[in-house]
Amino acid sequence: MTIAQFFSLEWKQFKRSSFFEKGLAIKIIMILVALYFASIAILTGGGVFFILKKVIPDEDPFLVINNYLLYWVLGDLALRFFMQQLPVINIKPMLLLPIKRNSVIQFLLLKTSFSFFNILPLLFFIPLSIVLLTQGYYPLMVLLWFISIVAIGFSINYLNFILNKNNTAFYVVLAIFIATMALQYFGIFDLTPHTGVLFYSFYSLGYTMLIPLLLVALLFKVNYRLLRKNFYIDGAVQSKKQAYTHYNLEFLNRFGTLSTFLKNDIKMITRNARPRQVLFMSFIFLFYGLIFFTQDSYREMPAVLVFALVFVTGGFLLTFGQLVPSWDSEYYKLMMSQNISYKKYLESKWLLMALGCAVSFILSTPYIYFGWDIFVMIAAGASFNIGLNSFITLFGGALNRVPVELNQKAKAFSNTQGFNPTQFLIGLPKIFGPIVIFYLPYTLIHFNAGLIALAMSGVLGIVFKSHFLNFIEKVYQNNKYKTISAFSEKK
Amino acid sequence: METIIQVQNLSKSYTTDKVLDIENLDIPKGQSFGLVGNNGAGKTTFFSLLLDLIQPSSGQIQNKGVVVSESEDWKPFTTSFIDESFLIGYLTAEEYFYFIGELRHTSKAEVDKLLAEFEDFFHGEILNQKKYLRDLSKGNQKKVGIVATLIGSPEVVILDEPFANLDPTTQIRLKSIIKDLSAQKHITMLISSHDLMHVTDVCERVVVLDKGQIVKDIFTSEATLKELEEYFGR
Repeated sequence: MTIAQFFSLEWKQFKRSSFFEKGLAIKIIMILVALYFASIAILTGGGVFFILKKVIPDEDPFLVINNYLLYWVLGDLALRFFMQQLPVINIKPMLLLPIKRNSVIQFLLLKTSFSFFNILPLLFFIPLSIVLLTQGYYPLMVLLWFISIVAIGFSINYLNFILNKNNTAFYVVLAIFIATMALQYFGIFDLTPHTGVLFYSFYSLGYTMLIPLLLVALLFKVNYRLLRKNFYIDGAVQSKKQAYTHYNLEFLNRFGTLSTFLKNDIKMITRNARPRQVLFMSFIFLFYGLIFFTQDSYREMPAVLVFALVFVTGGFLLTFGQLVPSWDSEYYKLMMSQNISYKKYLESKWLLMALGCAVSFILSTPYIYFGWDIFVMIAAGASFNIGLNSFITLFGGALNRVPVELNQKAKAFSNTQGFNPTQFLIGLPKIFGPIVIFYLPYTLIHFNAGLIALAMSGVLGIVFKSHFLNFIEKVYQNNKYKTISAFSEKK
Repeated sequence: METIIQVQNLSKSYTTDKVLDIENLDIPKGQSFGLVGNNGAGKTTFFSLLLDLIQPSSGQIQNKGVVVSESEDWKPFTTSFIDESFLIGYLTAEEYFYFIGELRHTSKAEVDKLLAEFEDFFHGEILNQKKYLRDLSKGNQKKVGIVATLIGSPEVVILDEPFANLDPTTQIRLKSIIKDLSAQKHITMLISSHDLMHVTDVCERVVVLDKGQIVKDIFTSEATLKELEEYFGR
């Protein structure tokens, strides 16, 4: 089997992937999203030098960039851990064919180089390097620096696959990340200048580029060995079997008949790759407010702040909730034929989302640091999320008929499971609803009136909970057969 | 005898294809009812209609007087295992049994008592395994699904191809389980199968479907197996 044949298989896989089978509207949206990220990367890559020059005029911007590269390494690793998966399963059919194992493995590893996660940093570092050239840095040394950085990017790529098999290793990395950030923030110890010396040396000394080059070669080799040793259907090729974990969820029994579903959903979230990924995303949402609350210019734009604070407590609601009832798609027939009333089922999903918002709200208490007024705003947003946004999300779920493979990680941009234009339209009121509710009383009366309106909308939602649920139940009932048949379609 | 399942003018079409067309079918309470037919004969379609998983093109099914497409009231006394989409992959067998038990208002102790009766059937490969259902073999998954249908004293039990994927020992054990249950006369069992011998062995009545229509309706006797073999061998 030649490289050309491998590529032809890959090309077919790419061409026939679910992305190209989607409608035109979703393609346009996906392309826009991809362009958005790409242009952000390009713009920051091109602009970061000048921004730093302006903010810190007495330091060499290039030095500062090198100091902060440590965060790129750690952050990139964390992101990949949750999002990127080594596509080992695809090689199963190749085991029986007369192909040298070595070439399959090499191809598999090289193939990962074309992942979105490797392209994004390039979009950042290429413009940056061009800017460096125009700013009078030595062209040859900039080139060496660039090659070193790319080598580090690929090292992260391969390191991730080793870490993927080992959760503890990942949490060690995460702990280092948080620890360095905390130490720097509180001014106890700043690691970045020390690592910055290394990154800068790729430029200043040049020969240190051997370190990343050797590193990437070493990690490639380690990955290769690991795969070679486990290249059997009960080895690496097999999808990862998860060890059984038991936890006592009896304390949830206080929710009565709903506790059955609640306990099940918690097991679902903790034991499957895709929902764990979503949980991680919703945790990231908690930090969304930092972008807005730390900058004074946004303080003058309340509508933007409202937008942000809905995200702070609504991360779980938005990311998890938009895929209700798809989370149960693998066993939807059971749910529909067992002794379960639709209303109870929906109510349990609502309760889960409400609890998710409540937990996010508790976790958002550190925002008090930015002032009680900010925290009161977050509280109003939480009220809206729990009382009203949850129902909008649940209603949107009735129109969602995309099955979810629970134990498969969603791959960025190659996997659009659970995303469709209807979902997008339903998403609009979730985001702009609070702005509208807030804005009218705010412009007509006062800032506080806007907040009160937002908080009251949530309270009203809870008061009329039963009516909302009845209405949503009817919509679900009407769509029942369509949903069942869509969920049982082969993926 | 009291009728529990009543089918009237039931049909199901996809665009122009009529995949099921049953004018009349009554199943009395307590009967063990077998459904055979080649691939595409409409067995699973019939069961899906009975469970209200698909919508009939015309007609209706009554389950103990409840029109299944109009009310959910048949759910408390009906259980089923059609395929692995009736299992929850990320639960262990015990967790799954208890989950079903909670849905059917059956306490853990009662579930445990029921499970104890199936120790032979499980052959030590189901309970206390610390394994999720998705990691069990197809045969073992099936055992879990079948036993789960017996939780919470159901009156109607629907099993689609229960013998497929089971090893010979388990097939024989399953047959004796089904026979025991049908001997008690209060559980109505609906079983589909490709294995004519098994079906004639455990069912009091065998209905043959072909292209969606009932072509034979036989009360099993010594001669039934031969009759069926002749029909399918034609």
